[in-house]
Amino acid sequence: MSGFRTVAIVAALVVAAFLLALSDRYYMDVFILTCFYGALAVSWNMMAGLTGLMSLGHALFVGIGAYSVAWGASVQGWPPLVTWPMGVVIAVAAAAVMGMLCFRYGLRGYFFAIATLAFNEVAFFSVSASVALGRSDGLILPTSSEDSVMMLQFFDKWPYGLIIGTVLIATLAIGQYLLTSRTGYYWRALRDNEEAAEALGVNARAYKLRCFMLSAGISAVCGAFYANYVAFVDPRSVLGIDLSIQMLVYSIIGGMALLWGPLLGAVLLVPFSVLLRNISAMQGSEIIAYAVLLVVLALILPQGIAGWLTARWRRRKAAPRPEGFASVAAAEKSA
Amino acid sequence: MTALLELKNVGKAFGGLKALSDVSFSVAPDEIFAIIGPNGAGKTTLFNCIAGALAPTQGEILFQGRRIDGRPPHEICAQGLVRTFQIVKPFRGMTVLENVKVAAFARHPRPRDAEAAAHRVLAHLGMEAFAETDADELNVAQMRRLEIARALATEPKLLLLDEMLAGLTPAESAAMCDLIRALPRQGIAVIVVEHSIPVVRSLCERAVAITFGEVLAEGTTEEVIDDPRVQEAYLGRADAKVDA
Repeated sequence: MSGFRTVAIVAALVVAAFLLALSDRYYMDVFILTCFYGALAVSWNMMAGLTGLMSLGHALFVGIGAYSVAWGASVQGWPPLVTWPMGVVIAVAAAAVMGMLCFRYGLRGYFFAIATLAFNEVAFFSVSASVALGRSDGLILPTSSEDSVMMLQFFDKWPYGLIIGTVLIATLAIGQYLLTSRTGYYWRALRDNEEAAEALGVNARAYKLRCFMLSAGISAVCGAFYANYVAFVDPRSVLGIDLSIQMLVYSIIGGMALLWGPLLGAVLLVPFSVLLRNISAMQGSEIIAYAVLLVVLALILPQGIAGWLTARWRRRKAAPRPEGFASVAAAEKSA
Repeated sequence: MTALLELKNVGKAFGGLKALSDVSFSVAPDEIFAIIGPNGAGKTTLFNCIAGALAPTQGEILFQGRRIDGRPPHEICAQGLVRTFQIVKPFRGMTVLENVKVAAFARHPRPRDAEAAAHRVLAHLGMEAFAETDADELNVAQMRRLEIARALATEPKLLLLDEMLAGLTPAESAAMCDLIRALPRQGIAVIVVEHSIPVVRSLCERAVAITFGEVLAEGTTEEVIDDPRVQEAYLGRADAKVDA
């Protein structure tokens, strides 16, 4: 089970990064943001990269998680123990409804992407107009002067790092477990060729729906965490298209063919953008630098960082192939 | 004879266009059956109706005595009827073994069992050496073989082969024929859609000829091929002789 070994290595690296970040609040903040975006991108890529379902409205589920916590805490005084599961349940139900509608009418590819975007926009404008949810001003979570484990309120940042690090590792472990099971094989088959998969016994609608619901649930957990960490949510930050695009960018740069590819993208790009924001002398120049990096990475590593790494690794360990594969043998010789 | 597959007056219309009408025939559990006909006769439409990719607009299709018309493909596959595609559709992001494993999951939900079953099928088809190769890197003949391997891994009772020999060299084609010929002995009936008359002659005991969506003739392969109406449909002249 080399896949589980990979997850164990990644988990060990996450723990190591957490321990290093303990030394400084600033580093811990970068660690937390990286884990947050990493877990989101991994969950987004379970759909896009592994099952072939490109969602452009994934912020919707982050928003559902975040608003469940924020509304629960500020209006009802409910603890995260109630609001986190509530957010997850609502997000999964929303994904189920959206999925049933989209897959029932055979929306694929770009059309599925546009449909998810549309649902996201509807939510964005509805929340922006809803008085109960604080309209576009957002909701501020009530805080007290003392730490409260029940309300997930801490003065130090490390407990938050512990939580989101656990979420990230759990996401990877669940993903890896599913990938080695029938579900994962069916997802990849659906991504590669839906018609052939159905002919071979794959219930396309059911398996796509399952993937959509799982991904939405993980995104909602991340959203719930965000609300508790930042203690403030507004439509722009948790329901905006920017957030959906970020998941996509980290996945493309990191590599969409592998479970942990998007995490690699987040590990590279999140600290980089934080760094740029702090050192840039000219205002706005960090955006240009960031954009240039994206363009360069997309050009030189079309399969993403993970794709490039695995190609290298495979080439190094490649044993002589069986006869009849002249093209492969030749390619390896020239490499 | 109890029929494995039975079509009763099957018809399919796309709007006003009748692609199939009143197609009836049956296939026994241990035979290789051919569907022949000129280009555009409706062979692939018929195929899609049987395998569930299309729902017939008329008639009934019975598999092992149970109606399957209008059921989704994955259910039909679960009942033991599987198809291959004329244009091969490998899962390009996977290895050969993983491709076959997807199909084996239809009968073996546990990954370890599915993998063992996939290895057995690959060994049976002489493809074990390619197990770890990316499906993308196979040549045409190997991709065709992979199509069959995947179909067999679902452990079917009836296998539908759509133009399996098109584009193969004579040697590859002969090897493929040997493979198909051995299937009824393993308890798998076969329906082939095929263009080449010599291949149909050598492979199949019985055949049905269709043209313009209607059955022209059904019977033993020789009868069907020698039928003057079939000759005419293929060559357009009643006095012509279709032969190798």
